[in-house]
This record gives sequence, C-alpha cells and structure tokens, in this order.
Amino acid sequence: MANTITLKRRINSVRNTRQITKAMELVAASKMRRAQEHALRTRDFYTLAQQILTRLRQLTDVTKHPLYRQQNVKTRLHILITSDQGLAGAYDANLLKQFSQELQQDHKDGVTSQVISIGRKGSSFVSRLEGVELLAAYHHFAEQPTANDIRPILNTIVGLFITKKVDAVDVIYTDYKTSLSQIVTSQRLLPAAYQDVPIEPDLEQALFEPSPEAVLEAITLRLIEAQLNQAFSEAQASEHSMRMMAMKNATDNANDLIDDLTLAFNTARQAAITQELAEITAGAEAIQ
Amino acid sequence: MAANDLIHFELVTLDGTKFGEDVYEVILPTPDGYIGVLPHHIPLVTIASPGIISIRRKPGDRDDQMEYYATNGGAIEVLGNVVRVLVDEADHEAEINEQEAQKAFERAQELREHAKDQVSLNEAQSLIDRQAVRLQVAGLRRRKRR
Repeated sequence: MANTITLKRRINSVRNTRQITKAMELVAASKMRRAQEHALRTRDFYTLAQQILTRLRQLTDVTKHPLYRQQNVKTRLHILITSDQGLAGAYDANLLKQFSQELQQDHKDGVTSQVISIGRKGSSFVSRLEGVELLAAYHHFAEQPTANDIRPILNTIVGLFITKKVDAVDVIYTDYKTSLSQIVTSQRLLPAAYQDVPIEPDLEQALFEPSPEAVLEAITLRLIEAQLNQAFSEAQASEHSMRMMAMKNATDNANDLIDDLTLAFNTARQAAITQELAEITAGAEAIQ
Repeated sequence: MAANDLIHFELVTLDGTKFGEDVYEVILPTPDGYIGVLPHHIPLVTIASPGIISIRRKPGDRDDQMEYYATNGGAIEVLGNVVRVLVDEADHEAEINEQEAQKAFERAQELREHAKDQVSLNEAQSLIDRQAVRLQVAGLRRRKRR
C-alpha cells in the first residue's frame, strides 16, 4: 500500500510542475511575438537612416569624420546582450561560448578587451574573468527599449570612441532567424560602416544646415542607435523563443513521466489487490 | 485641387512610421528655429531639434486645424517633393495626456535639482526638454478644442 501512496504523490507533484512549465511556455510565446513586432517596426527607421547616410556620403568625405575613423585596433569594446533569467535552454551558454572565443581572439591579437554587459547572466560571467574590464552592467533592461533606454549606452560608446579610448565597438547578440534557429552574431557598431550606391543628381544643389558634417553626425548616431535597438529586439525574440522551446520540452517530459508513473501506479494497485485476494483465499483454505 | 500642389510627408521613428501622407505644409523644428516646408521646396538636409512638428493638410486649413507631434531630435531631408523626418520618438497630440506630462515634467525638474554629477544632470535636462515639448503640444490641443 505504501508504494501506491508514494506513486500517487509523485504523479501530483509532476502534474504541478507541468502546469508551471506550460504557463511559462505560453508567456514566452506571447513575449516572443511582441519582440518580433518591435524588431519589424525599427526596420523603416534603419532603412531611412541608411538612405540619408548614403546620399550624404556623396557630398562630404565620410572617412574623415571621427565616427568613421578606421585604425589599428588596440582596445575593443564588446556589448554583450544576455538574459536576466535562466530556463531558456542554451541561450546564455551559446552566447558566452561565442563571447569567450572573441576574447581569446583579442588575447591572441594583443588587444585589450572591455565589456558593457546587459543582463544578469552576462555580468556574472564577465566579473569572474581576469584581464577583462567591465565598464558597465545593465540589469533588467527594458523589454522593448525606447530611445531613452538606449541613449546612455550610445553616449558612452560614442564618447569612448571619439576620445580614442576604444578603437572598435562590437555588439554580441543572438540573431533571430526563425523560431527554430537562432544564431549568435557579433556585429561591428563603430567605426561606422556604409554601403556604396550611385549618386543622385538632385542632391548636388541641396542645402545643408548647419553643415554636412553636423548632419552626418546626427544621422550616424541614429544609425548606430537603430542597430543597437535592432540587436536588442532580436535578442529578446531569440531569448523568448528558446525559453518557449525549453518549456515545451519540459512539458513534454512531464507528460511522459506522468504516463510512466500512472502505469506503475496501476500495476502496483493491481498487485496489491491480487495479493489481498490471495491472502483471503489462503486464509479460507486454512480454516477448512 | 491637383495632387501636385501637395508634398509627401514621412515621419519615421524607432517605433515605426508614424505619418506618411500628402500634405500642404509641414513646420519643423531645427537648430536655427522653426522652418515651414511647402510643396516643391528646394532640396535640403538638416538636423531636427526637440520641438513640435505641425502639419497643415490642405491649403485652406486654419491654424487650429493643424495636427501636432512632439518630437526629440533627429534629421530632416527634403528631396524631390518628399519630406522625410527621422526622429527617435514622435508623440501625436492625441497620445499625450496633459496631467501625466505635467507630472513627468515636475519629476524631471526634481531630478535636475538632485543631480549629483554632470551625466545625471544632462539626463535630467533632456527629460525636461522632452516633457516641456509634450506639454506645449498638449496646450495647443486644448486651445484647438475651445
């Protein structure tokens, strides 16, 4: 009898766990959808900034601008976007693996590494490392960051780059390809990049106020801002997507476990009944 | 009225495209003051400062029929009868609650008074600027309703 009671208890406790993982799966799914929509909305902004920048390039020498300064990299700043919470499968493990490889590369090239980390998992990892400087750590960053949330990070990196304290800024995040495939990506933010396109004749007589360089700076900042924002949205979508998959697997496992336990429970109950019957018949026969 | 008497106006923010229609006049905030852009404006590229974007949809519209957006800074491009405005944020007058904006403005002022270093001072100042613009837009809207 004791056996059936323990089994019953275990079944109930697995059922409770299943309820929680199921709920977490649904929450992650809805958050993932929102992050995806947010990523799409930023696209217009990015495209337009890229277009204006392309046109500007034809009128002013972009490469002379401090934000486009290419030079030997002696100090590299990584912006590491991780999650605050666990239970998201291999999300943080994948990120940190890629990040470690980047750090090893830096070490091999004799480059000093600095880090701005977003998310608790990232900062606790970086604080254990030696020879890596953690410039700033952001915990509980906004789920859908606005310009106000991104501005402090943007100002920091642009300030460091212009004063030549760092020579390159990369952002490491998980790119959301589909709900099944997310790829850890390292993207260069500074020095800023541009694409080559043909000249538009209209713009040759365009007015620039106050100057092409000032406009260039405003646009470039917006571009980097858009890239950062894009990285945040992609990272969010990936995190929630991986958490959703992890929780789905957990729910499936719980279901299997409940099936096995129920089977064992039924066998144990049947065995107990059979045993009781055997005892009764044996007792009756002994009397005769 | 012929369609070519209008100019296409696009307002693009980090949160997506907020406005994309043909209008008669757009008044934009720049570092040198407000500029009005009418159809067939010469090509122009400039910086947008924090301020109010006003839109007049049709030539005959009175000032109290204009639409307003509160924005922070960005960039402006006028090219081939299209005005493109690229800003971080733009709030339509209908999205702004005057009481909330007033409270946020006071909070920002408090932040500035208690700011300990240059960074938090700058942050507080930009918050104040932003809320001040929102308040102005809310005021314009109130006037319009009367």
